Amino acid sequence: MKRFLRLAGVVLGLLCLSSCGPNGPGDNVEYSDLFENVADNIIVPRYAQFQSDLSALEVGLNAFDASDVQTLISLQEQFKATYLSWQSVSVFEFGPAAQYSALLRINCNSFPANVSKIEENIEAGEYNLDFPSNYQAKGLPAFDYILFHVGQNELLNELSNASRIAYMQDCLADMQNRVDEVINAWDTYRNTFVGSEDNDQNSSLSLLFNQYLYDYEKLKRDKFSLPAGFATQYGIPLDVDTSLVEGHFSKMSFQLIDANLAALENIYLGVGEDGTDGVGIFEKLKEYNAQSTVVDGDLAVAIQEQFAVCREAVDQYTNDLPFEIVNNISQVQETSNAFQKMVPMMKNDMRSYLSVTVTLTDADGD
Amino acid sequence: MPMVTKIKSYSVQFSQWLHAETGIAALVVFRIIFGLMMFAGTVRFWTKGWVDSLFIQPDHFFHYYGFEWVKPMGEFGMYAVFTLLIISSLFIALGLFYRWASVIYFILFTYIELIDITNYLNHYYFISLVAFLMCFLPANRSFSVDVWRRPNIAVQKVSNWTIAAIKFQLALVYFFAGVAKLNPDWLFDAMPMSIWLQAKTHWPIVGHLFAEKWVAYSVSWMGCIFDLTVAFFLLSKRFRPFAYLALVIFHLITGMMFPIGMFPWIMTLATLIFFSTDFHEKIIIFIRSKLNVKVRSSIGDNSLILHGFKKKFLTGFLLAYVFFQMLFPFRYLLYPGDLFWTEQGYRFSWRVMLMEKAGTAFFYVTDPETGKRGEVNNCQFLTATQEKMMATQPDLILQYAHMIKQEVESRGLKDPIINAEVYVTLNGSRSKLFIDPKVNLAALEDDLKHKDWILDF
Repeated sequence: MKRFLRLAGVVLGLLCLSSCGPNGPGDNVEYSDLFENVADNIIVPRYAQFQSDLSALEVGLNAFDASDVQTLISLQEQFKATYLSWQSVSVFEFGPAAQYSALLRINCNSFPANVSKIEENIEAGEYNLDFPSNYQAKGLPAFDYILFHVGQNELLNELSNASRIAYMQDCLADMQNRVDEVINAWDTYRNTFVGSEDNDQNSSLSLLFNQYLYDYEKLKRDKFSLPAGFATQYGIPLDVDTSLVEGHFSKMSFQLIDANLAALENIYLGVGEDGTDGVGIFEKLKEYNAQSTVVDGDLAVAIQEQFAVCREAVDQYTNDLPFEIVNNISQVQETSNAFQKMVPMMKNDMRSYLSVTVTLTDADGD
Repeated sequence: MPMVTKIKSYSVQFSQWLHAETGIAALVVFRIIFGLMMFAGTVRFWTKGWVDSLFIQPDHFFHYYGFEWVKPMGEFGMYAVFTLLIISSLFIALGLFYRWASVIYFILFTYIELIDITNYLNHYYFISLVAFLMCFLPANRSFSVDVWRRPNIAVQKVSNWTIAAIKFQLALVYFFAGVAKLNPDWLFDAMPMSIWLQAKTHWPIVGHLFAEKWVAYSVSWMGCIFDLTVAFFLLSKRFRPFAYLALVIFHLITGMMFPIGMFPWIMTLATLIFFSTDFHEKIIIFIRSKLNVKVRSSIGDNSLILHGFKKKFLTGFLLAYVFFQMLFPFRYLLYPGDLFWTEQGYRFSWRVMLMEKAGTAFFYVTDPETGKRGEVNNCQFLTATQEKMMATQPDLILQYAHMIKQEVESRGLKDPIINAEVYVTLNGSRSKLFIDPKVNLAALEDDLKHKDWILDF
């Protein structure tokens, strides 16, 4: 029996090691440098920027005077800045932002705006912005509609109606509350995020990578393919519908797409909000000496170059996306192909090298 | 002696050995280990939230060929099934209402595995098979609550086949996992071991070695030799302790390297069955002393030895089971093409941790009347796991196309044309087109025949 006990002790000891071995607390976590840089130099400052843009929007809204066109112009400009700044935080829909009370993506940016619902709410003066039926009647798309759907003069006239301003103030407060909550939660979540081990479904690696992929696919589909008529809804091929673009009324579609791409690119490269180049996915892939299977050569560089190709493709347009869809569909198709090419680079190559488990459960490798 | 007589005499000897008696202790300890491991595994599964994410959240489920009729039962139903699994696994460990518990456990476990093929894991299949065998084994006939309740069912001896069946099942997993490694990629390219080790270079002390090619080769070869031989060494009394030590180290390392959950634990503890009856009796005595359970004085004088037709039937059944288990992994030979690429005949063959395969699948639906074509948004139908599994397995690609067809037709678009542009990389190879992007998947039938629309590797 003694021999057995000794053997059992060794077995249990060894097996225990397997669950608290090299990845045990205190040891260096494989991705801790990446997580630290992303949390401290990217996520937290970006949320702070978005928060301060929302505050500036509030100032602009309070200062608005229907008899002074300058106040309208500065309000519109501040809105544009805020919408661009949203693009840099949309990807972080995990942890605090994914809490039911926050759910930033759906509450801040469900586009296209439901115009009749917005008008209905303003008319009624009574609404609950928490209702899912109001997702598309609030947030940034509501501002996009209210502040840009007609020309300046008409707008000044319209906005002299205090209920329209009040509605925007409510929409703003709704976003601010949620963003404040997320920022507060990141104070404590930061350490959880940075200290995360392993690669199971709730690990920082999985959360970050999966949301990264999701944000990219959202961009590709919702902001581009859907209005251009390249997509389906529940499998049914859709007609071209240019009104589906993001920033439809402010005609910001391409700027928003570019800002979104830039935000993803900077996470990839590890570039912080202050411009310092830290540890990003790029550096990790370099560390692994990862090779691309989609194009020849180094994976880290291949993805970097594909980002450049995508952004160039977006930057070459002179008009907004609805115009280009109607007048220049072949070029739009080419841009779509450039977006498409990135997907296997992420799903086939990046995912393998980072050994991210998209699978929720255990694996045995098949 | 003529050949036929020789074989006949061997088979008589074999049959005699199968039905000869041995101590029950090994079987009893295995029952307890199996029950407790299944209990722990089910609780773990539940607390990880997988009941919800695998059986309640998904809108669509990928079925096994021939098991299209197996459906999940909704939130209440699924949690009820898991509750029953937890209870029955504990009952197995306790040896309480053992026959019922083991049958219920086998049926329910197999049921949840059949719901969605994208959850397939070799070790789930292994557990299903062991649970099936357990239904027929007299594992509750000693040191169990059943015996405490009904002392007259107690036995001290069981036939050899009862323990041999479990040993066979365990040996099969290792041996075939080894056979599967006998391929050029694994042996002569150290693939995908190189990729896997590359990702572990941050490990302390040994980490820097993982980038070395010779390490990847050594690990590949050692893994292969271990798998092929360990079961034989476990059967030998002389080598058993060494083989078991090697086994512990092997599972320890694989457990650290891969997200394989309970598997290392289950295999490490289950293989204790290879040890002698003495060894297991000591374990039972030890547990008795810890739990302060006394041995009942009135041990029955039962015998479980079968005679006549029953005996013949059982021998036949066991032989059929063994032959099936040995042959089934080779069914891939019936299909042309590269096995790892086409995965035709891949499952249920103990091909564990063999390849690194990833895919990206773009599906397109075309309206045959208007010619309008659009890309399918996969996350509108599938979970991330389902999408990932589907993108590398042709039969699932076809199933998914049929799901899309059904969805589209229910929304009024009849006879859609469905194409898929799928890019797959296998063991670090160039990502290339996996299936013919021009083939209309909606018009194909799902069957076990060779899928000639899979492109060559």
